[in-house]
Amino acid sequence: MKLLNITLLYFCLFFSSLVYPHNPEDFVISEIEQGKLTFENEKIASEYNAALKRLRIRRINAMSWGEKNIIFIKAGFEHILPKGLDHILFVLGLFFSCLKFSSLLLQVTAFTFAHSITLILASQGLIQIHGPLVEALIALSIVWIAIENCMFKKPNNWRPIVVFTFGLLHGLGFASVLSNYGLPKDNFISLLLAFNIGVEIGQLSVLIMAFILIKLTLNKSWKNKKLRIPVSILIGLVGLFWFSERIISLF
Amino acid sequence: MKKLFFVTTLLFLFSCQENKNQSNLKSDINPFFQEWNTPFGVPPFTMIKDEHYMPAFKKGMEENIKEIENIVNNSSKPTFSNTIEELERTGKLLSKVQRTFSNLASSNTNPQLQELQRELSPLLSSHYDKISLNEGLFLRIEKIWKEKEKINLTKEQRKLLEDTRKQFVRSGALLNNEQKSKITEINAKISELTTQFGQNLLAETNGFELILEKSDLEGLSENVIAAAKEAAIQKMNQEKNKEKKKKYQEKYLFTPHRTSMYPFLTESSRRDLRKKLYNSYILRGDNNNENDNKEVAAKIAKLRAEKAKLMGYETHAHFVLEERMLKTPEEVYDLLIQLWKPALNRAKKEVADMQSVVDSEEKDFKIEAWDWWQYSEKVRKKKYDLDESAIKPYLSIDNALKGVFNTTNKLWGITFTEIYDIDMYHPDARIWEVNDKDGTHLGIFIGDYFTRSNKRGGAWMSSFKGQSNLDGRERPIVVNVCNFPAPVGDNPSLLSFENLITLFHEFGHAMHGILTDVTYGSMSGTSGPRDFTEFPAQILEHWASEPEVMKSFATHYKTGEPIPENLINKILKASKFNQGFINTEYLAASLLDMDWHTISADEDLKNSNQFEEESMIKYGLISEIAPRYRSTYFAHIFSGGYSSGYYSYVHSAVLDSDGFEAFKETGDVFNPDLADKLRTHIYEKGSTEDAMELYIKFRGKKPMIEPLLKVRGLNN
Repeated sequence: MKLLNITLLYFCLFFSSLVYPHNPEDFVISEIEQGKLTFENEKIASEYNAALKRLRIRRINAMSWGEKNIIFIKAGFEHILPKGLDHILFVLGLFFSCLKFSSLLLQVTAFTFAHSITLILASQGLIQIHGPLVEALIALSIVWIAIENCMFKKPNNWRPIVVFTFGLLHGLGFASVLSNYGLPKDNFISLLLAFNIGVEIGQLSVLIMAFILIKLTLNKSWKNKKLRIPVSILIGLVGLFWFSERIISLF
Repeated sequence: MKKLFFVTTLLFLFSCQENKNQSNLKSDINPFFQEWNTPFGVPPFTMIKDEHYMPAFKKGMEENIKEIENIVNNSSKPTFSNTIEELERTGKLLSKVQRTFSNLASSNTNPQLQELQRELSPLLSSHYDKISLNEGLFLRIEKIWKEKEKINLTKEQRKLLEDTRKQFVRSGALLNNEQKSKITEINAKISELTTQFGQNLLAETNGFELILEKSDLEGLSENVIAAAKEAAIQKMNQEKNKEKKKKYQEKYLFTPHRTSMYPFLTESSRRDLRKKLYNSYILRGDNNNENDNKEVAAKIAKLRAEKAKLMGYETHAHFVLEERMLKTPEEVYDLLIQLWKPALNRAKKEVADMQSVVDSEEKDFKIEAWDWWQYSEKVRKKKYDLDESAIKPYLSIDNALKGVFNTTNKLWGITFTEIYDIDMYHPDARIWEVNDKDGTHLGIFIGDYFTRSNKRGGAWMSSFKGQSNLDGRERPIVVNVCNFPAPVGDNPSLLSFENLITLFHEFGHAMHGILTDVTYGSMSGTSGPRDFTEFPAQILEHWASEPEVMKSFATHYKTGEPIPENLINKILKASKFNQGFINTEYLAASLLDMDWHTISADEDLKNSNQFEEESMIKYGLISEIAPRYRSTYFAHIFSGGYSSGYYSYVHSAVLDSDGFEAFKETGDVFNPDLADKLRTHIYEKGSTEDAMELYIKFRGKKPMIEPLLKVRGLNN
């Protein structure tokens, strides 16, 4: 009741100065009763992002089933292209491992299967993720793949298992992205799938574009070896840079 | 291959597609200088930048002055339409930028906007002075006024003419030059003193700090301790001097701000510290230092009396009340005194209740003012046994909104449709289209409910666009801003019962702004007298706690179960708690306000303490309660615009209790006939008719105070 009275007083303060200018005195009264507003940019930004998530969920809840799913496919796609640079690099790492369709298919399938598992588990709250650590490990996975590319002429037998393990990691990364994005409780499973489908389409697009690019630029004379090692070194270096950056920010 | 290429390109384009711009506004031109062809005319928030305001304000004032000059220099004979009506059409740009600015400078502010606000304040007041002191304009109005019997005017037009003229007269338009210059002189002195009063008070409030060691925190809860620690850290960070920084290191800080003081007074078991903090609060402006307000207050009151006399009024209160629903000081005193006795009696009982707790604790002291919060809380726990946290799960923000939408829908058939594709100034601001029962568009409602660090505290209603039927049907855009707790994680925001009442209250103001249907914008919505405009807001509060209504919307956010009957009963019982104190401190301040403003110009007054003391002895205020504001920190009346107006809240409360009683009498809180009357006579009318006449049209008779006494539990 006391509080209520205060709010009522406040209402009037603002209300009375609705069309006419705020008196300097009004600021004085509100400063006396409420203290000064302090502007902490970090706090304002985090409040803004939380509000943005609420807004997205409200908007999504108001959509039809079809619209919602399209939105989530789109969101999944966007989190690869253009926002998921580290995932793009990882997929490119797989691509440059051998440029052989069957082997690539195996790796990509293993990757997809794995990240779907962790994405679902983490979104259901069954696994707790430590976001920054996952991010650092994802960067490390890029380095690993790049090193393997340089060391072996063609993917070795345990490669799909390695890729699967890393896939689990990337799935956790997608999950933390998705939880920041906001997943409405209604149609949970269907939207989760839609997001995953979006991620797949994004991944495939990367591969297809890489394929087309190489085909166009290098024509038929492109050779696996010539390209594989320099590109992998490049990918590895970028991965290493991210890894060190993310490790430092951990402490 | 080509197919693949095509698909990828398509996907890529799809992913790059951004939110389209919602209007055809050009981004290189100040948005205030363009027509807003946005949906419903909602301001194009995403396009408005901080640097757009000042140029728009300047051009707005310039245009406004030109428009006024055009009216004054019109060579044809002054008529209602070429003068009064034309005045209504002036200042469109200024009002557009001013509404947007003053809303955002409060609800989504930043240091630049706050600075701008300080810069603009003197510019705007001198701008409005230029208009209200324009002699040529007044001459035209006066000519029309003298012929008012001969010309054919509607009731609304007549009231507009009367109100417009009165504004000028009250600024001194009828005085001779000597009197006018005397008034200007007094106004300048008052303005200087009121500013000084505020600055002194600010210095006094910020000047006192209760810095505590860990060992002084006895009785305080974790939250309160954390807040005090945070306050000390913040202070330490602000301080540049190393020595001074040390003062706050590892310490806990409490200040005489209410938000800091109340929790301490409620929880701390250190009676000596409670006394210290409480005294620091009630002695603000009364410390005989350079920030002393005792003389300042007395001087302001005397100058006001002098001005009133010059203007031909008995006292300042007479001058102010002329425009209010209660027209004379006698009527105000009559109301206050009627409430005073029951409130004081109740307060005395509350003291006795608390004393018995003290005695049962085997402590040896008499209850004093600084014990009130602590011991009333103990009584509350014992007598009312209401656990706030048991209520909250039933009051999620969405339930509360459902409650208020359903209530107004049942009363007037209006509907609310949320709009999702309009970009607002902040993602937490939600927007609804409001339609009448036949589907006609009534207006836009914006609800910005959660607290955040760039929003001012408190709760209020305001508007981005007004209503008018002068040049076609223009419907309003109304906003409610509150400071409810933001959702944590995936849980919804859960309101306290007080929050719920605030939501209904502000929504009542919003309804007043949305249902309004008048010709002239200046008379629309909430433009009525101050002791009336709280009525449409406060009456809506009654539905919130009506058991039948509450059961319909207050369902548990997890289980969906409706709120249990016995919890509702507890809430209703607890609403009568501590009413002796609340009413006594409020009425004491209201009486003090009236006493200050019914003094005559030649009264011998130097020091506010003596005046206040005599006044409070006269009414018999008990020593355990201080007026809600003592004179030296009564900023509402000595620094803000509330002189002889502090009683307004309780007057509106008389109206809302009496008004809701009308519904109760019919046995149906949604009685269609009464609901209809409430809408047509109160919510639609703005200030187009005398407020008391409007009330009587709705209620069928003048308001009585008995329903209020019953609501507040003061009737026995």
